[in-house]
Amino acid sequence: MKFLPSLLLSFFLMAGSEQSKIYTTNTGQMRFRSEAPLELINASSKELKGAIDASKKTFAFRIRISSFEGFNSPLQKEHFNENYMESVKIPEATFAGKIIEDLDFSKTGTYAIRAKGMLTIHGVEQERIIRSDMEIGNGFIKIKSSFIVLLSDHNIPIPRVVKEKLANEIKVELTAELIQK
Amino acid sequence: MTTKLLCCIFFLCGSFFAKAQDVDLDKMLEDEQKKDEKNKTHFTEATFKTTRLIHGHSIENTGAGILDLKISHRFGQLNGGLYEFFGLDNASMRWGFDYGITPKLTAGFGRSTYQKQYDVFVKYKLLRQSTGKTNMPISVSVMGSAMVNTLKFTDPTRTNYFSSRLYYAYQLIAARKFSENTSIQIMPTVVHYNLVPLATDPNDVIAIGIGGRQKISKRVSINAEYYYQLPEAKLSGTTNSLSIGFDIETGGHVFQLHFTNSPGMTERTFVSETYGDWGKGDILFGFNVSRVFSLKKRK
Repeated sequence: MKFLPSLLLSFFLMAGSEQSKIYTTNTGQMRFRSEAPLELINASSKELKGAIDASKKTFAFRIRISSFEGFNSPLQKEHFNENYMESVKIPEATFAGKIIEDLDFSKTGTYAIRAKGMLTIHGVEQERIIRSDMEIGNGFIKIKSSFIVLLSDHNIPIPRVVKEKLANEIKVELTAELIQK
Repeated sequence: MTTKLLCCIFFLCGSFFAKAQDVDLDKMLEDEQKKDEKNKTHFTEATFKTTRLIHGHSIENTGAGILDLKISHRFGQLNGGLYEFFGLDNASMRWGFDYGITPKLTAGFGRSTYQKQYDVFVKYKLLRQSTGKTNMPISVSVMGSAMVNTLKFTDPTRTNYFSSRLYYAYQLIAARKFSENTSIQIMPTVVHYNLVPLATDPNDVIAIGIGGRQKISKRVSINAEYYYQLPEAKLSGTTNSLSIGFDIETGGHVFQLHFTNSPGMTERTFVSETYGDWGKGDILFGFNVSRVFSLKKRK
């Protein structure tokens, strides 16, 4: 039975050499802003979940809609969840896909990248290419991005009475630091 | 030889495990989210659209730091006919302010034209309906109010006590949001009279209230509210208060339109001093409007 220790050793060595290429976070930050003629609305969440697989350049992000805080009143938050996002029926928004650029994740540095994937908000999928700044470090990836979401793209109607208070164009910003698993 | 064979097997196994790491990232996050949800408590929100069901309190509280100006009207009886323009010639009105001291504690005061009443109340939420880590099937609040009638004393020649015009109401509110559209609440209520109209009347009127809402669209719900007075603990000649109405939400504000047989808007006047009878057409039209102001600066 002399071979057993050496076998186990080789097995562990092999497993060890296959270091994970997946970076994740549970605490990404996301903000959105609606700038309508009569009202500004701001809200943010610190519960953005994200994962990037460096070996395949794939990514996925996910956020719980009811985790957004801020708004101009508690009632507004309630209406956001109940009437616009319907967060009980559709609790999350997601974005998953692939990074277009060829990236060498072993090289640290900051890159401007384009993320192509399916953005699902309010249960409605839209194929989007979202520009983002990506900083690759030792064992981490930092992401900073801002983009626009059109409510009309995601089947979120604006009632006539709040036309002047809610913009169709919602500005979204996110920052996240993903740590290598 | 066997050693080499085993080596091969282990090598294959090793690379197989490495392969297994190529997971579906979206699925991975979804699973993680599900795990998170189990460890978090999600409180049920928006059981009702506003802090009043129709006349009485709903389980909802005014948000912390929010001042809510409420103006309510009850017109005259529909069976007044064209002469009274179906009741619209007469109006009884209450205005008042509610303030959210904390998310669970609301206090307010009001003034009614009906018997020139002042009223104050406090409402505190004891339990919140929730799912997830803590599973709580219902929300429970307690509400206490005091009312004073400030009409001139009808007989100034006798000794009149201020305390004889004070009234108190105590209410337990238990509510459950059964679905996005349906919520029901039960309100056991005691109304205390320091002085009652007749010697045979009890000083404590006991009533069980039941109310609910059914949303008929995203922004409109039908509400109903009924207070059943225990026959042995009610003032003589009174009827039970029954109201049916609509909540209409218009961009941050809620309008409440309703039909009722109660002209008063304080617990004592609608729970225990309703004299109208739906069967005889003693029905009043009324509405509540509210305007909220944020007093606390948001971070």
